[in-house]
Amino acid sequence: MLEEYAGRVRLVFKDRPLAMHTLARAAHEAARCAGAQGKYWPYHDRLFAVQPAFRRADLVGYARELGLDRDEFARCLDERRFAADVERDIAQAQALGINSTPTFLINGRLVIGASSIEEFRSIIDKALQERR
Amino acid sequence: MGTAASYSRSVKCLSRSSARSSRVYYSPIAALLALLVVTASIGAPRALAQIELSWSPSMVKGPPGAPVTIVEFSDYQ
Repeated sequence: MLEEYAGRVRLVFKDRPLAMHTLARAAHEAARCAGAQGKYWPYHDRLFAVQPAFRRADLVGYARELGLDRDEFARCLDERRFAADVERDIAQAQALGINSTPTFLINGRLVIGASSIEEFRSIIDKALQERR
Repeated sequence: MGTAASYSRSVKCLSRSSARSSRVYYSPIAALLALLVVTASIGAPRALAQIELSWSPSMVKGPPGAPVTIVEFSDYQ
């Protein structure tokens, strides 16, 4: 989808772990630890592929497999360096009334739930037209 | 420093029909965070919520100047 709109669309990922997903919080923090080593998106993709295998050993293992500095990653995770950042994302989502995932804001337009490709395309095309 | 993009747009729940205005600004903060200010109407029709969205550059795909920004709130689990 992003490739189709190369240069015209950017994607921002925001953490919105739901309270009932008890393993998710650590996974969101781990992804940011991977981001600190320049591998946010590969780690992000890995998490979606393996969910919900998010025990500490799993999370550290993915980092190692992606070629990250294992010890540095483990320290980041154990110290919960990005806990406050994840918390901030959750607070921002709650302030927008976003209580289910995934939820998208496409140039400010709220799209709740996983919509079809066609629906996304239509909203993106409309947003592009409005910006002309 | 920052390019400020502002435009008028409705930010609304899909179930609502009345249009509301919002402004979106982009600016670098301490060269680390982008900031998105969404003035959204959530809940009561007249209640305006101004939300500041910040993000780390590592969690963004695509060029900063792209005309369309998709913000995805998601859960890994």
